[in-house]
Amino acid sequence: MSGPEGAITLASCPADIVELAAFRARASDLARLAAAQDFALAAGGGTAARAGRLSLSVRPDRWLLLTTPAAPGESAALRREMCRGCGAVVDLSSALVAFLLAGTAVPEMLARACRLDLEGRAFPKGCAAATIMVQVPAILARLSAGMLLLTPATTARHLREWLVETSQPFGLALAPDATVSALCGESQT
Amino acid sequence: MTGPARIAQGLLTDPARPLAFRFDGSEMRGLAGDTLASALLANGRRLVGRSFKYHRPRGIVTAGCEEPCALVDLIGAAGREPNQLATTLALHEGLVAVSQNRWPSLELDVLAVNDLLGRFLPAGFYYKTFMAPGWAWERLYEPLIRRAAGLGKLAARVTEHAAPAEIVHDHADVLVVGAGSAGLAAAAVLGTAGLRVLLADQDVMPGGGTLLDPRWSGWREEICRRIAALPTVRRLARTTVLGAYGHGVFGTLEALAPQERARFGGLRERLRVVRARRVLLACGAGERLIAFPGNDVPGVMLAGAALGYLRRYGVAAGLKPVFFLNNDEAYETVFALAEARVLAAAVIDPRPSGRAAARAQEAGIEVIAGAVVCRVRGRRGVRGVRVMGANGSTRRLDADCLLMSGGHSPATSLACQLGARLEWHERIAAFTAEPPSPAGRAAGAARGVYGLAAAALDGETAARALAAELGRTAPLLAAGPGLPSDPDATPLVPFWEVRAPGKAFVDLQNDVTADDVRLACREGYEHVEHMKRFTTCAMATDQGRIGGLVAAAVLAHARGAPLAEVGQVKPRPFLEPVPFAALAGGEVRGHYKPKRRVPLHDWHERAGATFVNTGLWLRPLVYSRAAGWEPVLEEARAVRRAAGITDVSTLGKIDVQGPDAARFLDFVYANTFSTLAVGRARYGIMLREDGMLFDDGTTSRLGATHFLVTTTTANSAAVLEHLEFHLQAVCRELDVVLTDVGDQWAQFAVAGPRAREVIASVVEGLDLTNAAFPFMAAAEARIAGISGRLFRISFSGELAYELAVPARTAPVAWQAVLAAGSRYGIRPYGLDALNTLRIEKGHVTTAELNGNTTADDLGFQRMLKKSGDFIGRALGARPGLAATDRLQLVGVRPVDRARRLRNGMHLVAPESPRTSLGYVTSSTPSVELEGWVGLALLAGGRQRIGTRLLGTSPIHGERTELEVVSPHMLDAENTRVRS
Amino acid sequence: MLRIPCPWCGTRDEAEFRYHGDATRPRPTAADTLADFSRYTYGRDNPLGWHLEWWLHVGGCRRLLKVERHTLSHEIRWVGTPEASPAPEVQAP
Ligand SMILES: [Zn+2]
Repeated sequence: MSGPEGAITLASCPADIVELAAFRARASDLARLAAAQDFALAAGGGTAARAGRLSLSVRPDRWLLLTTPAAPGESAALRREMCRGCGAVVDLSSALVAFLLAGTAVPEMLARACRLDLEGRAFPKGCAAATIMVQVPAILARLSAGMLLLTPATTARHLREWLVETSQPFGLALAPDATVSALCGESQT
Repeated sequence: MTGPARIAQGLLTDPARPLAFRFDGSEMRGLAGDTLASALLANGRRLVGRSFKYHRPRGIVTAGCEEPCALVDLIGAAGREPNQLATTLALHEGLVAVSQNRWPSLELDVLAVNDLLGRFLPAGFYYKTFMAPGWAWERLYEPLIRRAAGLGKLAARVTEHAAPAEIVHDHADVLVVGAGSAGLAAAAVLGTAGLRVLLADQDVMPGGGTLLDPRWSGWREEICRRIAALPTVRRLARTTVLGAYGHGVFGTLEALAPQERARFGGLRERLRVVRARRVLLACGAGERLIAFPGNDVPGVMLAGAALGYLRRYGVAAGLKPVFFLNNDEAYETVFALAEARVLAAAVIDPRPSGRAAARAQEAGIEVIAGAVVCRVRGRRGVRGVRVMGANGSTRRLDADCLLMSGGHSPATSLACQLGARLEWHERIAAFTAEPPSPAGRAAGAARGVYGLAAAALDGETAARALAAELGRTAPLLAAGPGLPSDPDATPLVPFWEVRAPGKAFVDLQNDVTADDVRLACREGYEHVEHMKRFTTCAMATDQGRIGGLVAAAVLAHARGAPLAEVGQVKPRPFLEPVPFAALAGGEVRGHYKPKRRVPLHDWHERAGATFVNTGLWLRPLVYSRAAGWEPVLEEARAVRRAAGITDVSTLGKIDVQGPDAARFLDFVYANTFSTLAVGRARYGIMLREDGMLFDDGTTSRLGATHFLVTTTTANSAAVLEHLEFHLQAVCRELDVVLTDVGDQWAQFAVAGPRAREVIASVVEGLDLTNAAFPFMAAAEARIAGISGRLFRISFSGELAYELAVPARTAPVAWQAVLAAGSRYGIRPYGLDALNTLRIEKGHVTTAELNGNTTADDLGFQRMLKKSGDFIGRALGARPGLAATDRLQLVGVRPVDRARRLRNGMHLVAPESPRTSLGYVTSSTPSVELEGWVGLALLAGGRQRIGTRLLGTSPIHGERTELEVVSPHMLDAENTRVRS
Repeated sequence: MLRIPCPWCGTRDEAEFRYHGDATRPRPTAADTLADFSRYTYGRDNPLGWHLEWWLHVGGCRRLLKVERHTLSHEIRWVGTPEASPAPEVQAP
């Protein structure tokens, strides 16, 4: 990675992404089952990492779990086993594309599309939020490794092109793929 | 030398950096730091334009964005840009500007005859002219007016690339508007309290009024140094707050500094949308004109503007100025020019005496007290004035400019937009407006507090109050060290107008005179808003900032009402002109809408597909770049004869899980899903609550409490929202989880008589016989080694399967099907062929599900549940919706098989060809039947099956005899899909 | 422009929400008459003052919110979940 001072780096993050959605009044059961499998479920609007696996919560009683890619559908099948009866488990590994943006200028660059306040005090490490950017859904999470961005796959190219174009004045460097364990880095509940 | 009027060193200008520029063809020189206006004045140029209506010569009146007259066309590499304000336009090397609104030239303007004919072009002219016969307007008045009036010329210019533009979203605890003494003191206090502050200021340099008084430079530098050291304060220069939009949202326009421009690819302005918890309005006050005959002659300028030109750019507005003032503040210009050895010819002050007048007299300057200016000599430039004393005696004075001041009006626009009420203050003869709590506060001159020191202290007080409201304690600053003192001043005497022969303007931009305001009042336009619309006073780029209150005062006098009661016109956003490009931001042209691409987009592209935009999607229309129907029919024929594969990934897909999933689907669909067996799919129709068809699609039961709903491509987002709303608002007792899985699954339809063989060779471990996997079966399956889903459903009317795999594995599965199907002659087919196939079969899409059709209209009446509640049940049963003459779905075919159909063709009876009985919704050449086939919505259509009608398309000049047939034109018994 | 304090996501711009109309009229049940359904579907008061309405946070948590908004000033004084109601003393005009 190289670039001017304060430059932005952009990396793809291959990950299996599974959504857990608790059925009525089953959120605590779900969290217990998850914990038994060494998953920490994030608090609302937050992130949590354990054992190289990351969870985000941007919708009440729902969690996105990010894990290192396995065979298609395998992660979802495992989670389905884990949660049976407590909630819906839906594989979104193909539905969402993950990017990692790093660099001090990232909030300033994202302010060109993101209506959320991403300033350090307003959106510190461990925060996650769902919003709309450049007319498409986006989930943002601030991690130690940078700003994680999840976006629907069919418009991901549109958003990526926008990110590349908008980052130019700040200096952009494309970085090699980031692994899920790198995302988990030092991220804490 | 950069002009004869450059008499001193300016605060902003760099004498070491001369710049060459051209105005109306003349080569001139200015300095870096100049505006075009200051450079023109330095060169002694006074005449810079002609007025809007009368084509009177006009000069520079102000030194800022309130300028009514000095608007120019800027000629740049990209073409002509009209209506640029010379008073804010930064000079740069090679700038080329031309004056506006003159023909053939600025010095000799033929249309200045309008001035002489002024009595025939009174206020309200436009309104009255609109009353004339239409032909006269179109042929006579409009061309005449377009020639004669209007501001700059707009050159139509369409370039390949949109100008760079961007919208930035900002957040702050407090938005401080204005960086004068009040704003600076407030920002320092708020920032010290740890609050996030955005300090927006129009000027290139912070300081506001302190820039015009050298006594304040030490204080300004110190407080700016302190602010720069505060990590939570951000200062935005060249940034105008354009409007207040409620809930703490403000629109601002930032003009970029040159180095910033280059960095952002030539971006000139940036729209910033600020969200702030509080606003502090420290936006100062604006000087106003006095209405007297000839107050528009080039060389008549606001006194404060002349002070600005001297302090900021070292330029004298004139070398022999005469002043016409009613307030002590404006005397600062008299003293500053005198210090620079430009002595006033005289100061004319309608007040009998005053402190500042006494000081002037002590300095040897003649003050003519109790007098007014009743005439200005000179047409293209001030040559002198006629002064009338209190006793009516007149006297002539020679001068080369006239500097006027009628007092200062606090800037109330933003406060008013926040819902403030105007409050009249006789002490300053102006309105103030305090924003309602908790939106924010006003401080300093914006609140009628005059004097820079008083304003600084007021700014601090307001800031401390805001900090307290936001839960912070702010340390005492008492406006900072070295605060200079304010001079004692004698209060002004309200003075608005000198009534004497000649045109006395209240609005220089729209050529509105005091007489026009009186005319409006006589004609019944007594309300200040009506007067505005009748006269056009206070419209256009300057929003009447320097004369609006004067016009209101004239109106108040004419009405015999107090000015406090008459009020001011309502200020609406924007406070300053904004380029459309800045408002549009980056979402223009190619970026206007996101492009949604199917997972196999790149494959389709390589396969030579022509794409079509449907909603946001780019979908393969046909795998050919050739025009015409033949490539489409070839694809459709492959499906009917052998096998085809098409990408249906754009269908909406919603995962529905939970103990009450089946009950929920029974409520949102008009047909029943709770009876559907696991491993089966069912076609479903959804109604709106008003009983009209909303959407259709196939829903599969994957488990006892797990369904997969598919929606049409067009309605996918709307259906999800519809389900989410009803689940949360209406069916709150149901335990159901909805998840959008549209992007998760790539889905392909494999259709045709050989489809089973093709599928059998890519699917493992599934018995595909009719008995084991019949029509409308659904199962999990391994497809080309990938875990996916297989459905036996058909849109084409052939034996068909839809297979779904995770989107990122789509290429593997698709290629596997193609490879397996090659021996059967499989072909990919696009949206056009899909359409051909479904029209032949009589399947509907959004062309028929158009929001006006009911289940009965499209022949779905038997699907409706007989018992149980569902959305649309009650209103769908309204008797009117069962009327037999409603438009009903039928098929149509030309009697002469060689004739074509057209979508939108009207169906008429031969005996009454002007009465439409319905229209063709979809049509295509057929592959199975001879000639064209179409679907149509026809009044009482089912009763007309077997009859003949005419299809007319007047815009194509076509009349075609049609036979009305059943919409199921192919395999009505459904033997193929079940084969 | 409205800024709506979503109980799940925090205060967000209006652009993230979809308006879903009057939140004071429950949907009639199967036992109700056609006239009841007509009123529910087409009948709209146009009050000047406080109004309880549905907003779906499609650009955020996708939860439905009940919002009490002043139709003249656009002030929002209460936001809650679909089950909740503003406190009675707040309902007084
Ligand atoms: Zn929300």
